[in-house]
Amino acid sequence: MQTENPLPTFEVVEAKVHRGERLTEADGVALFREPNLLKVGLLANSVREKRHGDRTYFNKNMRIEVTNVCVASCLFCSFAKLEEHMPGAHTMTLEEAWKELEDRMADPPSEVHVVNGLHPGLPFTYYEELLRGFKRIKPDLHLKCFTAVEIHFFAELYKMSYEEVLTKLRAAGLDSLPGGGAEIFHPEVRTRISNDKATADQYLEIHRVAHRMGMKTNTTMLYGHIETFEHRVDHILRVRALQDETGGFQAFIPLAFHPDGNGMKNLPAPTAVDDLRTIAVSRLMLDNVDHIKAYWVSLTPDVAQIALSYGADDIDGTIVHETIYKAAGSTSPSGLSYDELVRLIREAGRTPIERDTFYNVVKEHAKSALPEAAMKVRDRKQNRHLEVLS
Amino acid sequence: MSVRISSVGYLNARPLVQGLAEDPRFSLDFALPSEVARQLAEDEADVALMPVAAAATMGDVRIVPGMAIGSRGPVRSVAIFGEKPVEELTEVCLDLSSRTSVVLARLLLAKRNPKVRFLGMKEADARKNISGTRGALIIGDPALTIEGKYPHVLDLASAWREETGLPFVFAAWCTRGDALTADHAQAFLEAKRRGKEASRALAEAHAKATGLDVISLESYLANAISYDLGEEELRGLQRFYDEAATARLLPRTTVTLFRSSSPSSSSSSSSSSCLDTILSRAAAGDRLSIADGLRLDADASLFDLGLAADAVRQRRHPEGVVTYIVDRNVNYTNVCTTSCRFCAFYRPVGHPEGYTLSREILGKKLQEVVDAGGVQILLQGGLNPELRIGWYEDLFRWMKTEYKLGLHALSPEEILFIARQEDMSVRTVLERLHAAGLDSVPGGGAEILVDRVRRKIAKTKCTSEEWLGVMRTAHQMGLRSSGTMMYGTTDTARDRVLHLGKLRDLQDETGGFTAFFCWDFQYETGTKIAPGENGTLLYLRQQALARIMLDNFDHIGASWVTQGPDVGQVALRFGADDFGSVMFEENVVSSAGTTFQMNAGTMEARIHAAGFKAVRRNVRYDWLSEPF
Repeated sequence: MQTENPLPTFEVVEAKVHRGERLTEADGVALFREPNLLKVGLLANSVREKRHGDRTYFNKNMRIEVTNVCVASCLFCSFAKLEEHMPGAHTMTLEEAWKELEDRMADPPSEVHVVNGLHPGLPFTYYEELLRGFKRIKPDLHLKCFTAVEIHFFAELYKMSYEEVLTKLRAAGLDSLPGGGAEIFHPEVRTRISNDKATADQYLEIHRVAHRMGMKTNTTMLYGHIETFEHRVDHILRVRALQDETGGFQAFIPLAFHPDGNGMKNLPAPTAVDDLRTIAVSRLMLDNVDHIKAYWVSLTPDVAQIALSYGADDIDGTIVHETIYKAAGSTSPSGLSYDELVRLIREAGRTPIERDTFYNVVKEHAKSALPEAAMKVRDRKQNRHLEVLS
Repeated sequence: MSVRISSVGYLNARPLVQGLAEDPRFSLDFALPSEVARQLAEDEADVALMPVAAAATMGDVRIVPGMAIGSRGPVRSVAIFGEKPVEELTEVCLDLSSRTSVVLARLLLAKRNPKVRFLGMKEADARKNISGTRGALIIGDPALTIEGKYPHVLDLASAWREETGLPFVFAAWCTRGDALTADHAQAFLEAKRRGKEASRALAEAHAKATGLDVISLESYLANAISYDLGEEELRGLQRFYDEAATARLLPRTTVTLFRSSSPSSSSSSSSSSCLDTILSRAAAGDRLSIADGLRLDADASLFDLGLAADAVRQRRHPEGVVTYIVDRNVNYTNVCTTSCRFCAFYRPVGHPEGYTLSREILGKKLQEVVDAGGVQILLQGGLNPELRIGWYEDLFRWMKTEYKLGLHALSPEEILFIARQEDMSVRTVLERLHAAGLDSVPGGGAEILVDRVRRKIAKTKCTSEEWLGVMRTAHQMGLRSSGTMMYGTTDTARDRVLHLGKLRDLQDETGGFTAFFCWDFQYETGTKIAPGENGTLLYLRQQALARIMLDNFDHIGASWVTQGPDVGQVALRFGADDFGSVMFEENVVSSAGTTFQMNAGTMEARIHAAGFKAVRRNVRYDWLSEPF
């Protein structure tokens, strides 16, 4: 895939951004190719600060992955086990899944984020009951569950339309959709890395349907494997086009490919410079998406801190028990405490804002509070030293 | 509390200072010029009679009007002596620590003899070196002693007057903070008046002490030195500052006078330049003052600092190359008597976990380095009283004979320890170790070169002056070293900028530092102090600020060992042109829990991904491969 026209210079793109003009595909590729990362970061930061100032969002969430059994064979995945009873394959009973939440009710999350493998043997009622059970434990809990890839899988497996699947799940308690499963939309890449799950059009159609039903969703991009910069820009533009249509995306989350233990383990992981650039270009291209998230699990807390100056205004949440990146060799901890997140954001010179899933402010923290900073424990360099909630 | 006055102790300062000694409002301390400046900079003095170059370097001082040490014509005590006229000299020997005179000499010679080389040495050595086309800049009493002994003399104050038509000001009363009042300033003027009247007595006393001619000394105090600081002198001083800034020898400075009506907080000193001006000066390679550095630290954004530092790197290293070295960090012993509170590595003498590596183990480690294409050993250890200088000499000789690797060994603290143990001078220790194979000295143990901080975090360790002294001696012998900074304990932004200023001063003097690395204190359970200001963003800012301030350092390294490969890579765009070392092992930082690893391939891949070409280097930063 080639961009036909010669690329604009950085200065041309910069001037467009300052005039508030929408960037083109060529502009996006030019930003990816600009050698001086600082210039791109500075530009993205100006857009970020215009939108959000120093405000940086996080939430009290927890991830629960109820099954890693999966019929899809995505090359980038180190999490999924193809069949039940394979070594490492695990499917929680409903009681086990609910217990994950019950165990955290002393300091409950405001959101539960469920992402699973595509399990061929569970009844649809399993998922409905899963959601109902969570709501029974905490009625005001926000349930952000099932990627569009799962929704597509449910529709095929249980012979329903997307709208029917979503309607039933909403009736059971579903509040919004997470953004996973987007990978890279362009077929040159998608057919090679994840050929046997929802296509780009199907993924986007599900989000379109959800948005029309009044649901908010997030969306993602898995970068740093076999795709080109052009593929990334194409991906971002497809997100922008749907957002123009529906306005239903809350946040865009670039996800760094981690190579350990998957079908692309011979590839190097993207480096921090690429992570920051991707965050920055996403911020600059997506003039109609409010939030760009520096998902600390993917970036490591250190790089996520820097990303808050490269266009990101959200650092995700406490997570508690992440297993997908863990399986792919991420050195990030499985969870961060509330105070640790506040500290990370403050240390990056920003104002920590605890939010709910819809970005309503739960608690605004002071930009920096010296007594706390003086007491902080600084084991941030390695996951074994970070305060891991288990 | 009395106002703390620090002054140079030279004869020519006496007339200004003498009258203050008995005044109960003041406490008076005499010291060498660099020490006087240090005291003012580190808030150990409120007012200082000190060289004007040091005032420019600080950037936030106000000069007390009405008096100074200057000259309106021949000063006699600051001159270049030679057997040939200065235009014909090939070299000028001088004590490079006398900054004002050195800057003046450079400015004056730039027109008269632009090709002349300056050779730094002690004043006594400089005098002995006058011969043929080699002259020397001689300052103070020694200059008065050799008056008339050489056929050619360039009196720097005369030459300045000739060139500019203005007087020259060498030193003045400088103040920071708010301790000084109008009454004090008045007392200074009164002291000057009485001091001038006492010049006969001062000359007599000095003649008695030195054997110099009393008439000549009295004439020196009464005629050669001018103690006034009026309109004309101020124009002379400003002209000097402007020319020195244009030649990038001093930070750009506007003379700011002490006025009782304007407290320091609202005074418009040179440090109040707007941020953009400081940043563009930084990017252009101008020298910045300590006050400029603090202003950047406080007000510049991450990108301001990054872009300015990146511009400096780009200008110094236009090839777009980032270097790295393949070496091994060997910690020969963990037995140490220092017990630094930030260290998780050391074991006290007699501790069951104490070790000293045997030849057998060392040999194995060294062979692995040779086999992996490594070029150097970084050898550091604790202060182990069981190891004598002979042990080190034997070890070094054996290592050099058997393995032919570069030997980057023993930080200043270890050198000082050996000197104390053996009751030898630092110079003797360094000479013996150099003869045994020492190639260069690692810059570890600098921590923060402000003694208030050092006393808190490592009170048994050497002072800042001792650390710098070892490096000065090593550099003078032709050994190179790195400079480092470990921040993030009890240090403030001002401490960190002062630290950079001290390294920069020494580098002006010796040129012996190859590179600068900094990192934050690595907190872990084995360490005994609470962490202070640190974090990823602060690291990037500090490293960028170092690149901006250290205008006489060729190289800035990114410390991926402490910050991790990710942040280390990002730091390459914050002024670094070196990615440090492919570490086979490292025990000190990893005792504090930081255990990152990279091999040469990963390192190169990260350098490439950051947009640079990679090159392997040796300890002197010579390229060992073609950039790719």
